[in-house]
Amino acid sequence: MVIFKNVSKSFGDIKALSDVSFEVKKGEFIFLTGPSGSGKTTLLKLILREYVPDTGEILLEGNNIGTLKNSLVPVLRQKIGTVFQDLKVLPERTVRENIEVALAVVGLPENEWKGRLDDILKWVNLSERAGLFPAQLSGGELQRVSIARALVVNPQLILADEPTGNLDWDTSMGIMDLLLKINKEGKTVIMATHNKMIIDKYDKRIIHLVNGKLVSEKNDQKEEKKEEKKMKTRVEEAGEV
Amino acid sequence: MSALSFKTAAGYVKRSPFQALSAIFVLSLTFFVGTVVALLVYSSSQVLNYFETRPQVIAFLKGDATPEAISALQNKLATDSRIKEVKYVSKEEALSIYKNATSDNPLLSELVSPSIFPASLEFSVNNLEFASTVISEVKTEPIVAEIGYTASLGGEKSLQDVVTRLKTATFYLRLGGGIFAGILALTSFLILMVIIGMRVNARRGEIEILELIGATKTFIRSPIVLEAFIYSLIGVLVGWMLAFILFLYLTPTIVSYFGEIPVLPKETLSIVILFASVLGVEIFVGCILAWAGSMMALSRARQVK
Repeated sequence: MVIFKNVSKSFGDIKALSDVSFEVKKGEFIFLTGPSGSGKTTLLKLILREYVPDTGEILLEGNNIGTLKNSLVPVLRQKIGTVFQDLKVLPERTVRENIEVALAVVGLPENEWKGRLDDILKWVNLSERAGLFPAQLSGGELQRVSIARALVVNPQLILADEPTGNLDWDTSMGIMDLLLKINKEGKTVIMATHNKMIIDKYDKRIIHLVNGKLVSEKNDQKEEKKEEKKMKTRVEEAGEV
Repeated sequence: MSALSFKTAAGYVKRSPFQALSAIFVLSLTFFVGTVVALLVYSSSQVLNYFETRPQVIAFLKGDATPEAISALQNKLATDSRIKEVKYVSKEEALSIYKNATSDNPLLSELVSPSIFPASLEFSVNNLEFASTVISEVKTEPIVAEIGYTASLGGEKSLQDVVTRLKTATFYLRLGGGIFAGILALTSFLILMVIIGMRVNARRGEIEILELIGATKTFIRSPIVLEAFIYSLIGVLVGWMLAFILFLYLTPTIVSYFGEIPVLPKETLSIVILFASVLGVEIFVGCILAWAGSMMALSRARQVK
């Protein structure tokens, strides 16, 4: 679904990303880890075409994001659900209106809004908070608004930048449950985090960045086991033939 | 534009009521002055037209002029491209006009008979430059005894002077009114631009978020442009309405002051057409102001970014 091929990005003398290559398959859940300033957010912003890579290619479903025309950038972003590090909820709009904006942006007819809004609000457990403004919500609730806005347009790729940052453990687990639920529905999730406890708790593929370089990759053990099992079955089947 | 854009634009207006009021106030003033200037231009044109189309020349006919000769001269004058509105006034009609004019003193009318009033052909010229030539030519006609000019104007020279003065006054009225309305329109444009610019700056964060979730330029701009349209259209309606109320209030005074000079339309339909035309033009100008002001503010905001 997403392929990084030797991608580098610098800001002046600072190398934010250096020759990064990896591939994310459809339906995967990936932890993007590394210390602060390691390039996690830059990597996500490159996928969202907030930045253009200096060198290398980023392919999303086969299309090169770096060479995309400016007029097509909104179309790209409409396909991606993003949970921002700083939430980016609209302060002067209610929870419902914040989510409505995403539907309006993709041009969904207004008569289809209500059903979708009710479903997503129920899904993130914010039905009773729909009429409140962001200033009246807790950190966890705000994070759920951000997730709801990202999901309501039914994107196939979710980018989550530190979605559990500044949240207590229980609230963080609630957010993680939501993201895992999304992933189970077949959506690809790339989540940037430096929270080791969360990374350790969930057995998912990890892309570890340090100073803008991809230093290690750990694959999802369950997925590996599944793949191994599949391979074994194939070999056995081939042997029988 | 979606209902959300309208809702957002209305929200912008409600959240900054004093900015909204100042924009609406200036725009209302502009369109009020615009409407008044338009009415003045109309009235001055009517006055000018009135004086230009008044019978300017009266050819008094000899007593022995036969109806055939009179008819021939009337036809000749009517087919002359320099001359318009030829009218024959018989001796009886002339007496009747005299009687009407002296109705406050019946003694004067009792002493006269139709025979002492000559029949006449009254006409005006399309352009006052032709007046002296036409008069000279008509004087040579065998059935014409004498040439006279409109009594109130006194003569060829003063007639031209009056119309020239009217034309000059009308020109300066239009020019002055146009400049004043233009200055006000420019002020409105700048105020709209400043307010929309402030709005864009205040909403920079929101615009950034919308861009990140995939909003197109049109989606982002539409509430901002709509806000300018709301100010402009309210300004047009308020300004036009005030001028209309003023018109209704002053009409009796103006009509009695100008008497038979039709400075204002008399039939309801003509009034409706006049005011509807002014409103239509003002809505068009208001839309142009709103569009240009908001677009310029948005493009400036992008440059600053």
